[in-house]
Amino acid sequence: MAADSEPESEVFEITDFTTASEWERFISKVEEVLNDWKLIGNSVGRPLEKGIFTSGTWEEKTDEISFADFKFSVTHHYLVQESTDKEGKDEVLEDAIPQSMQDLLCMNNDFPPRAHCLVRWYGLREFVVIAPAAHCDAVLSESKCNLLLSSVSIALGNTGCQVPLFVQIHHKWRRMYVGECQGPGVRTDFEMVHLRKVPNQYTHLSGLLDIFKSKIGCPLTPLPPVSIAIRFTYVLQDWQQYFWPQQPPDIDALVGGEVGGLEFGKLPFGACEDPISELHLATTWPHLAEGIIVDNDVYSDLDPIQAPHWSVRVRKADNPQCLLGDFITEFLKICRRKESTDEILGRSTFEEESRDIADITHALSKLTEPAPVPIHKLSVSNMVHTAKKKIRKHRGAEESPLNNDVLNTILLFLFPDAASEKPLDGTTADNSNPPSESEDYNLYNQFKSAPSDSLTYKLALCLCMINFYHGGLKGVAHLWQEFVLEMRFRWENNFLIPGLASGSPDLRCCLLHQKLQMLNCCIERKKARDEGKMTSSSDNTYPGDTGKAGVQLGPDHLKDTDKEKGEVGKSWDSWSDSEEEFFECLSDTEEFKGNGQESGKKGGPKEMANLKPEGRLYQHGKLTLLHNGEPLYIPVTQEPAPMTEDLLEEQSEVLAKLGTSAEGAHLRARMQSACLLSDMESFKAANPGCFLEDFVRWYSPRDYIEEEVTDEKGNVVLKGELSARMKIPSNMWVEAWETAKPVPARRQRRLFDDTREAEKVLHYLAVQKPADLARHLLPCVIHAAVLKVKEEESLESISSVKKIIKQIISHSSKVLHFPNPEDKKLEEIIHQITNVEAIIARARSLKAKFGTEKCEQEEEKDDLERFVSCLLEQPEVLVTGAGRGHAGRIIHKLFVNAQRSAAMAPPEEELKRTGSLEERRQNSVSDFPPPAGRELILRASVPRPAPYSRALPQRMYSVLTKEDFRLAGAFSSDTSFF
Amino acid sequence: MDEDVLTTLKILIIGESGVGKSSLLLRFTDDTFDPELAATIGVDFKVKTISVDGNKAKLAIWDTAGQERFRTLTPSYYRGAQGVILVYDVTRRDTFVKLDNWLNELETYCTRNDIVNMLVGNKIDKENREVDRNEGLKFARKHSMLFIEASAKTCDGVQCAFEELVEKIIQTPGLWESENQNKGMKLSHREESHGGGACGGYCSVL
Repeated sequence: MAADSEPESEVFEITDFTTASEWERFISKVEEVLNDWKLIGNSVGRPLEKGIFTSGTWEEKTDEISFADFKFSVTHHYLVQESTDKEGKDEVLEDAIPQSMQDLLCMNNDFPPRAHCLVRWYGLREFVVIAPAAHCDAVLSESKCNLLLSSVSIALGNTGCQVPLFVQIHHKWRRMYVGECQGPGVRTDFEMVHLRKVPNQYTHLSGLLDIFKSKIGCPLTPLPPVSIAIRFTYVLQDWQQYFWPQQPPDIDALVGGEVGGLEFGKLPFGACEDPISELHLATTWPHLAEGIIVDNDVYSDLDPIQAPHWSVRVRKADNPQCLLGDFITEFLKICRRKESTDEILGRSTFEEESRDIADITHALSKLTEPAPVPIHKLSVSNMVHTAKKKIRKHRGAEESPLNNDVLNTILLFLFPDAASEKPLDGTTADNSNPPSESEDYNLYNQFKSAPSDSLTYKLALCLCMINFYHGGLKGVAHLWQEFVLEMRFRWENNFLIPGLASGSPDLRCCLLHQKLQMLNCCIERKKARDEGKMTSSSDNTYPGDTGKAGVQLGPDHLKDTDKEKGEVGKSWDSWSDSEEEFFECLSDTEEFKGNGQESGKKGGPKEMANLKPEGRLYQHGKLTLLHNGEPLYIPVTQEPAPMTEDLLEEQSEVLAKLGTSAEGAHLRARMQSACLLSDMESFKAANPGCFLEDFVRWYSPRDYIEEEVTDEKGNVVLKGELSARMKIPSNMWVEAWETAKPVPARRQRRLFDDTREAEKVLHYLAVQKPADLARHLLPCVIHAAVLKVKEEESLESISSVKKIIKQIISHSSKVLHFPNPEDKKLEEIIHQITNVEAIIARARSLKAKFGTEKCEQEEEKDDLERFVSCLLEQPEVLVTGAGRGHAGRIIHKLFVNAQRSAAMAPPEEELKRTGSLEERRQNSVSDFPPPAGRELILRASVPRPAPYSRALPQRMYSVLTKEDFRLAGAFSSDTSFF
Repeated sequence: MDEDVLTTLKILIIGESGVGKSSLLLRFTDDTFDPELAATIGVDFKVKTISVDGNKAKLAIWDTAGQERFRTLTPSYYRGAQGVILVYDVTRRDTFVKLDNWLNELETYCTRNDIVNMLVGNKIDKENREVDRNEGLKFARKHSMLFIEASAKTCDGVQCAFEELVEKIIQTPGLWESENQNKGMKLSHREESHGGGACGGYCSVL
């Protein structure tokens, strides 16, 4: 092994490693790893600061080596420290004892709240562990243990590594380690005892001191002083005066007609069980000298109330059942169901929807037919009633999944307009355009959900509720069926759907919301058309006769609604149909045709001017028509067709498919010119005798170029003309202008076929499976959950939660913007929400337990609140003033109460719990239960093995819990003369 | 050719009527200039594959009509765009003044907020300039956009504008990756302790 150190002169001497044993190879591998990690030599860092084990960062490096075919993992654990100028120190302290040995005596980091067990036992800042790589492997036999320990010893000796090296022996759960640390002329052995049953004499200080002393075997008298640190931990599980108030909500509350705490549209919140299960109080005597304190089997000075340091940690219930989290999780589960609504409910009412929906005539005549769903009165409950009858018919005697009361409550919640006595008139505009601009309100942008006051959002919440409390998937399918029926009812009877912003679909919302908005647009137009038909039926008697109709028509009270006769609407098809058809339907009047053709030519303005203007919206500033100086009017025009994102996608695909060739571009322009043509016709109707120049001045002002020209007489005159591009012969604008006839918007072909679109939407709704529905609405549910969490947090004001909520929002907005987010990502979001819910529930639980509300003094209250929030965020919190502080007194009282009630409990149980020793030691009822854990650290600096050896750090840690006793000793000796 | 294309990007060209949106696009895709290009109706569409930093990107460019009335149609095309080219005419101040309106429109209709915007001042070949280059620069800086002046007629800056925009989009994380490529961000890096009784992990005494 020492091949490298041989001088060069012996270059011919061959060192043979070919016959090296497995063991030798293993040792050299260990050395290699230590070398790789640069753990060689002494590096003395700065002394450990108080609490650095908790506040600092721990890191680890792992490598794998094998002994023959048995795999070990080597792990270096270390506290990250700022680099100090090590090299300078190295030279000065050539024979300093290794850092780790010094750390054995350091008292600044006793009992760290959270640390590797070796750190806890030995106070080390750095160490290497060799453990079997496989979780179930173990080094059991004594000879093997010794072999490993010897390897460690040799490797340390060969490399000069001063970092303690441990090997893990026995089964992993026993956490048995033996190890060694070597320095120049010094060595520390790390040894361990682990027992299930404690010999009686070792349960107290005096017994342990005896072990420590005998182990050191100190030849000196008197023995150098032993410093003692003690920590007793008490566990409180029984929160006497405090009961967890949150009961699982009463499922039957709603069935009885009582809405109670479970209002629809509100999400439940909180944990069903106490999310704080235990409180651990650690009472610490950080520095005692031997002889000050008496602690033996008959008497103990260690009264927890007198302990100078108190610290508290709480044990959180693992995954407490949280209402909100459960709620969303259950809803997410629907997304994975495959059944259709029909399959869930049996034969369904949707049969009639399966007919050819493209047949518009059929759809229209549906109103006059004997209705398949007999609706007599315009109320939701009637709707429900009939629907219910129908469903029952299909399903036989089976109960419908949702009971009537629940269904009625929900439908009234969703459609509040149905509750009013007056017949539905769709005037629910008051909540259709909420003014709220707050950040919370606009959250739907980020989630792609729907505004929190919209029907879609409410529907999502109701479905969530139904799924959880009222019939699960069946209930969901049932409600959805009712909802679709209601939609059809509203469409057929011209009642606007409440709770939707007016106007074309908001592409920032979820598709389902857009679909509903689309349906509303259709209803709105149909309604306007039907009303128009009633008020001005005379208008419709002469569909083709422009002149007469113009006279008879009232002013522009009909605005931009394309109200037109039903019969006319029927013969026209959608906007994308061929031009020929378009012409046909208007060519029935000879006079009309003539006008149209001439209007494009400059020759006939005189005749045109004779026509009565129609469909004027308002005058366009000061502009006048070029040829006769009449004021230029802006016409009433057709609204562009509303689009949902899927339609839009379709349309842009169609447009894109036309390709990039000139023909493609031309066709594309032609397809989109319907709107331009319609506007031109309206313009012509409003401004009889106008030219394209007039139109362009309104429509595309920059394409009318005016120049100052000096005429023959020397006057400066403004001369205007069309831009070059508008003058291109037979460009589409000119072409359209020439074909456009003066027809006001209301008598034009509809650009938007509301009947067709409405039927498409209704069909779409009807074929949604519960799973599809859940996918549509999940963003709304997540949105609602985030709002709920936010609301609850604002009551508690927990800064860490605020941060997490922000993260959740930004995370979800990324996930939910994709059309089909992965389940895993959704689950992750839900998990985060549940976490936040649990944190808030814990905060509430703690606040109630410590009675922060009851605290009268302002200052104490603030302290207490700070203390409680620390408990949530830190692993362990120091109690200011220990047992005498405000928080300390409260904790004391909690224990006293628990003890009292335990004393009243059956005595056998008490006996079992405390064990024989404690029973003897305790009075009948003491303030505290026997400690659940006793930890002791004994430290001394003692020369070993001989009186003239160097005084070296000796340390023994012991921990005693109910069924576990462990001694971890580190004993150093001077190896100089031994 | 399509196989080595890294991604398809949707680009939108907007701006007042007559500022030369279609001409810019035509120059970029076909490298021609047509002084008699008809006014766009609705939206038009062109495709071009370009290579930026060795990455091939297919551009689906939507050219929109600038007329006020068409604006009710076009917002739907803003959806899903990764880049927007906002064009004004340096010889017509009114087209520059209206830029604010266009930005509002963008803000309202764009589905994402990390979209890359580019401001192009067109027609710099013309004599009668009304908008100074510095004004354009200032506007672009104020609204964190890319800026370039160009001429579709003389070909100045056109290629460069599109390349710059694409490069920027590709550099913007999360803007162009498809769903599968997008790993999303991780909220917590907390590592699970090794569990059980083995003390690989960190634990408290009780």
